[in-house]
Amino acid sequence: MNRRTILGGLFAAATVPALTACASGITSLDNEGGAASGGGSSKDGVTIGTANFTENQVLGYLYAAVLAAAGVKVKVRPNLGTREIVFPALKSGDIDLLPEYQGALLTYLAPKAAATEEGEMQNDLTIALPAGLQVLPYGLAEDADAFAVTRETARKYGLASLADLTKLNGRLVLGAAPEVKTRRVGVVGLKEVYGVEFKEFKSLDSSGPLVKGALKKGDVDVANLFTTDTDILDNGWVVLSDPKNLIPGQHIVPLIADRRADSTVRKALARLGNVLTTTQLTELNRQVDKDKKDPEDVANTYARQHGLAR
Amino acid sequence: MYELFKNLGGWLTSGAQWSGPDGIAHRLAEHLQYSLLATLVAAVIGLPVGLLIGHTGRGAFLAINLASFGRALPTVGLVVLVFLASGLSMWPVYVALVALAVPSIVTNTYAGMTAVDPDVKDVARGQGMRGHQVLFQVELPLALPLIMTGLRLALIQVVATATIAAYVSFGGLGRYVFDGLAQRDLVQVLGGAVLVAAVAIALDLALSGVQRLLFRHRPAQHA
Amino acid sequence: MTIDWSWISGHTDELTTLAISHLQAALTAVLLGLLISLPLAVVAHRVRPLRGFLLGLSNVLFTIPSIAIFVLLLPISGLTRTTTVIGLTVYTLVVLLRNTVEGLDSVPAKTKEAAKAMGTRPLRTLLTVEFPLALPVIMAGVRIATVMSISLVSVATYIGDGGLGQLFTDGFQRDFPTPVIAGVVLTILLAVVADAALVGVQYLLTPWKRRRA
Repeated sequence: MNRRTILGGLFAAATVPALTACASGITSLDNEGGAASGGGSSKDGVTIGTANFTENQVLGYLYAAVLAAAGVKVKVRPNLGTREIVFPALKSGDIDLLPEYQGALLTYLAPKAAATEEGEMQNDLTIALPAGLQVLPYGLAEDADAFAVTRETARKYGLASLADLTKLNGRLVLGAAPEVKTRRVGVVGLKEVYGVEFKEFKSLDSSGPLVKGALKKGDVDVANLFTTDTDILDNGWVVLSDPKNLIPGQHIVPLIADRRADSTVRKALARLGNVLTTTQLTELNRQVDKDKKDPEDVANTYARQHGLAR
Repeated sequence: MYELFKNLGGWLTSGAQWSGPDGIAHRLAEHLQYSLLATLVAAVIGLPVGLLIGHTGRGAFLAINLASFGRALPTVGLVVLVFLASGLSMWPVYVALVALAVPSIVTNTYAGMTAVDPDVKDVARGQGMRGHQVLFQVELPLALPLIMTGLRLALIQVVATATIAAYVSFGGLGRYVFDGLAQRDLVQVLGGAVLVAAVAIALDLALSGVQRLLFRHRPAQHA
Repeated sequence: MTIDWSWISGHTDELTTLAISHLQAALTAVLLGLLISLPLAVVAHRVRPLRGFLLGLSNVLFTIPSIAIFVLLLPISGLTRTTTVIGLTVYTLVVLLRNTVEGLDSVPAKTKEAAKAMGTRPLRTLLTVEFPLALPVIMAGVRIATVMSISLVSVATYIGDGGLGQLFTDGFQRDFPTPVIAGVVLTILLAVVADAALVGVQYLLTPWKRRRA
């Protein structure tokens, strides 16, 4: 923290009552930082980062829509990269807020974490997060990782669950985003929990054109997709069940820097979390991927229709 | 930084890292295959064009401008565009790499040809040489140094850019760069980058060796 | 592969913003590249033993894939514009340094001697005699570096920047050619306009060349 932000923080602390009175942000006083004694402030705006797949961008713009409606100045930086890239950017201050997924974030922070129940995971997340970052209450909507095969593959080998894959150890090719190779919800966990071993791992993308194209073409036998991807239904792909709960629950949860987490932000994001359902999120993804609408427009329309923004 | 380079040593020298389908040896072979094939195709396209416009002097304006357009073509965009048109195949990679290499080859070949002293060409014609004889026996040898410069430049660019194959699911040394980016494994990224640079430098040295060999046999034209 | 014209007409603002941000990154890199190369070129020109080293170093940097440079800069400058600009600057050096050295080399020794004989100080000779005479070759380098930078900016889309390059990753993810085509066309357009502008700059900077041309 440089000198200017420290001064700014002190100044902000001294003027909190005055500023909360004018939440519309008409004040032009220099209040950068503002992270006095634990409580954050969104007065100087919130920069929302998103990872490199459609849904995360939709969520980022949804956050932006509800925050803007609450009078917060927002900036969205879409398509920054994988969690491995975006998370450090949150720590270093390049971005302030990130739409995250409970289970995936937890296994990223604490690979050995065993919790699969939402409340427990929320607790564990709070413990596992580095100082300066926090998760806000998780929302209704969920988007889990899925391992899918084509209907033909499922029929040919009699595959219904991840455990069935062991019958074909050393014979199948797994396609997924590069980071899945080193993630627990990926090659590592499949081996540890189910004893599944693949012939080859093909680095593709996150439920994107590469992995779906490869599954269609038969270049890969098993593909890592997201459950909110409409292509799973459209193509009749079979999602393998997870009897040993390797894949944790993936409720969507806002991950935010303490310095920006004030009550305005908390309230706005909590309202969104309590409204947005998995089905609705899947539909929003479809509008972006299939109808080629902008994630920003899709998010704004949704927020308006559900009374979250004007 | 020190830590990074120390780990790089381990990464580059571990035996496991070199073997298997994801090993350095295999990725290196893939990278060489993409780069050499693309540069070869680019040479087959670029050399005749450069020689022809240099020899006849016709179409030079058009060719040179097209070449500088070509230099502005964003490789990522081209790869994606061809990917959307052709689907999951090697086409996006090869089209983008060839498009990258052709401009350097055409402009340098043309520059080499125009640098040939017109008097020399006149003398050759005066001795009764035909057009194609002047081209192949007089102009080409004299233009060779610049032509080789163009080829070497093209090859370096192609080797560095062949990294992009990994973006559309293929192999080559770019695999380490893109996977390392996704996994934030900087040692892997650095390892990939160092290997790419080493390949580029090695190939460049090899071509400059070829160039020197070609010239040793033509001492007469040196003056 | 069809173009969705309504998408383009509905996104003119976004396309303009991206194009401006794209151009800014490229031009900043070229300017920085010049600031670095000009003094280094003087050193390389005057101090023979350093010449091979400096030119060789810039050549080696050129062989590193740009995407790798961006990623390796992440621990230092993060997901910011700075990372993009530093990465691009590295690639301008190879052209700018070489051309500036060649430009300085091309100034006839007699001209420099004449300046010396007239009592002009070395620094003044450099600024008022050598650089102006080397300008055409330097400008040729600036033009190539500019076009190259403009085409390279889009690689930074892999680290969340990249100006028009954002359109490429977007179109890729959604199987949507229109933004990609728009991005490619605009990139080439930027390069052509920037190149033409530099020709204009060169014309203005070298008034003594006009009569001959």
